[in-house]
Amino acid sequence: MLRLLATIRKEWQLLLRDKTGLTLLFVMPVVLITVMALIQDAPFKDYQDVKFDILTVDNDHGRLGKYIREGLASGGQFNIIDTLDGRPVTEQQARELVNNGRYKISIIVPAGSTAAIVSNANRIVNDITQRMGMSVSLPVKQHADSLNVVIYFDPAAKKAFKGAIHQALDNFLTQVETDMLLGRIQQQLRRKDTTATPNDTLPIRLQAVGLKEHATGTSKQLDVVSNSVQHNVPAWSIFAMFFIVIPIAGNMIREREDGSLLRMKLIPGSYLLILAGKMLFFVGICLLQFYLMMLVGIYAMPLLDLPKLVMGHYQGATLLVAGAIGLAATAYGILIGTLFKTPNQALNFGAISIVILSAIGGIWIPLEVMPGNMQVIGHLSPLSWGLDAINDLYLRNGDIGYVWKNVLRLVLTGGVMLAVAGFVEKRRMN
Amino acid sequence: MLAVKELCKTYKGAAEATLKGLTFAFPEGKIGGLLGPNGAGKTTTISILCGLVQADSGQVMIHGLPQDAAHREQIKKIIGIVPQQIALYPQLSAVENLTYFGNLYGLKGKALYEKIMHYLEVFGLEKSAHKEIHKYSGGMKRRANIIAAILHDPDLLILDEPTAGVDVQSRSMILQFLRRYNEQGASILYTSHLLEEAQSLCDEVAIMDEGKMILQGKPELLIDELPECRNLEDVFLHYTGHALRD
Repeated sequence: MLRLLATIRKEWQLLLRDKTGLTLLFVMPVVLITVMALIQDAPFKDYQDVKFDILTVDNDHGRLGKYIREGLASGGQFNIIDTLDGRPVTEQQARELVNNGRYKISIIVPAGSTAAIVSNANRIVNDITQRMGMSVSLPVKQHADSLNVVIYFDPAAKKAFKGAIHQALDNFLTQVETDMLLGRIQQQLRRKDTTATPNDTLPIRLQAVGLKEHATGTSKQLDVVSNSVQHNVPAWSIFAMFFIVIPIAGNMIREREDGSLLRMKLIPGSYLLILAGKMLFFVGICLLQFYLMMLVGIYAMPLLDLPKLVMGHYQGATLLVAGAIGLAATAYGILIGTLFKTPNQALNFGAISIVILSAIGGIWIPLEVMPGNMQVIGHLSPLSWGLDAINDLYLRNGDIGYVWKNVLRLVLTGGVMLAVAGFVEKRRMN
Repeated sequence: MLAVKELCKTYKGAAEATLKGLTFAFPEGKIGGLLGPNGAGKTTTISILCGLVQADSGQVMIHGLPQDAAHREQIKKIIGIVPQQIALYPQLSAVENLTYFGNLYGLKGKALYEKIMHYLEVFGLEKSAHKEIHKYSGGMKRRANIIAAILHDPDLLILDEPTAGVDVQSRSMILQFLRRYNEQGASILYTSHLLEEAQSLCDEVAIMDEGKMILQGKPELLIDELPECRNLEDVFLHYTGHALRD
């Protein structure tokens, strides 16, 4: 026990004097998660959360144009801009401004579109009333015009963004046509029913079946959405935890070079206890890093106008996952420190390998948006196991049952790396 | 004290054996010098003595105990090693380093602290006790390196070039200490390229080359045996030749 505690104290003293190491382990990750959360805040937001300027050219001056403008504006998602420098926006002007990227979207409501909708509604009502034996004939156009509301998108706009805008506008058009039709039907029915007063409305409820989102988890399910903070804080914390490879590998190579390792192996008692003390210390540092980052996510992120991190209900499971990540990271550091002969080799390989493992493991961008074959490769990265487990706990409100497989993977991988390191070290001695 | 018999060792992948039936012995309570040019196999011999490297064949006896898996822990308790490198943490002070290594030997508390301070005083390091090792001079580092090996009062102290690169004052202090330590009953095995130093310090020397023992005996007798040699260095060159061993 004395060996274990002495080693932990020695590692602590060494770390306290290593200003670069301390910066790398604690300051850089805080800066990293803050910067990444800020940068990725907008892309992570749903389109409903982002307010866009829409250039609107209303050549119709009728009900449709008004309805579209009011509808878009009332959603709070769009700023309707129909004049520039006090003059109405022209179609040509709108197209140019969107094409050069100054505006993301422009909508052109063609002349006569309201009349076309009214005509179409009248045609349907005429048909219905004739079939009911009523002699009503509302005015309709002889030739149905083919009219389209035109949308211009910034050429740099993403496909998903275009899809979302398309859907929103489609909904408005359908809504206008439905309202017109229902209005006409109500009007004709009131005309037939002579006992009805002008204020007597006929309730026509079109949507009998609605749509409501429910949480998939238990009743304790938190209302958490995957946002910039929920992704970036755990993801980059895991990345930072794996960067413990750098001080561990450097520390091990220095011990080997300066003979301290030799001295330790010549002291009676198992060297494994010394190694266990070293591992315990660095796993502890990883846990400290992890919870420091979580505190930043909970308390500092809201100060930067970012969402607050939500950690789920199962703190024990979170501690277990963080410990397993720390163990895998520490074991990786020991392996790197054993495999390489010079600190430079170890530091370069260690840093680059972590960047690669993090990139394929969904730390930079979620695995779900990667191509299929990259997702398969990504799931082999220990960083992705850690992130999956944290997402299970934070976003799916899972408990230990959700995460044990990933915890086991991390612990087993750590064990295998330690075994390889032990084998290499033994071989080197002989 | 120390007996090595027919020791053979070939490292994996090596074209030639490092040790080819090395045999020597030093009596208990004496200072023995293991000398040889670069590549003679001194470090491998010491590594086998310490149990760090396993010999392919041959026997090693330390204070009556065979160096094998069954006795390795017992032997570790009775030997102290001063490696050629400064095997201390440069970022830690002498007290912190020595406390750590003392703890690993199972020493702790006030007794350990007093022992550390005693040895720091003996080696003239008491004023720098809390200074980080990387701020020490070469001689100070060497002295601290020796203290780390004697905290557990070993019966056999093995030193691999303990005075390499130190100034005259530090060397004098180290050699004086080794003599005193030996007078208290401890055995010392010492390797060095400084043959004048070995001549003055060692009761007996063993000169090895290319993995084999060339000769062993008291320095003054070895010198007397060769009329053309005035000192141990002449004897050494007589037997190992003048060819460079880089």
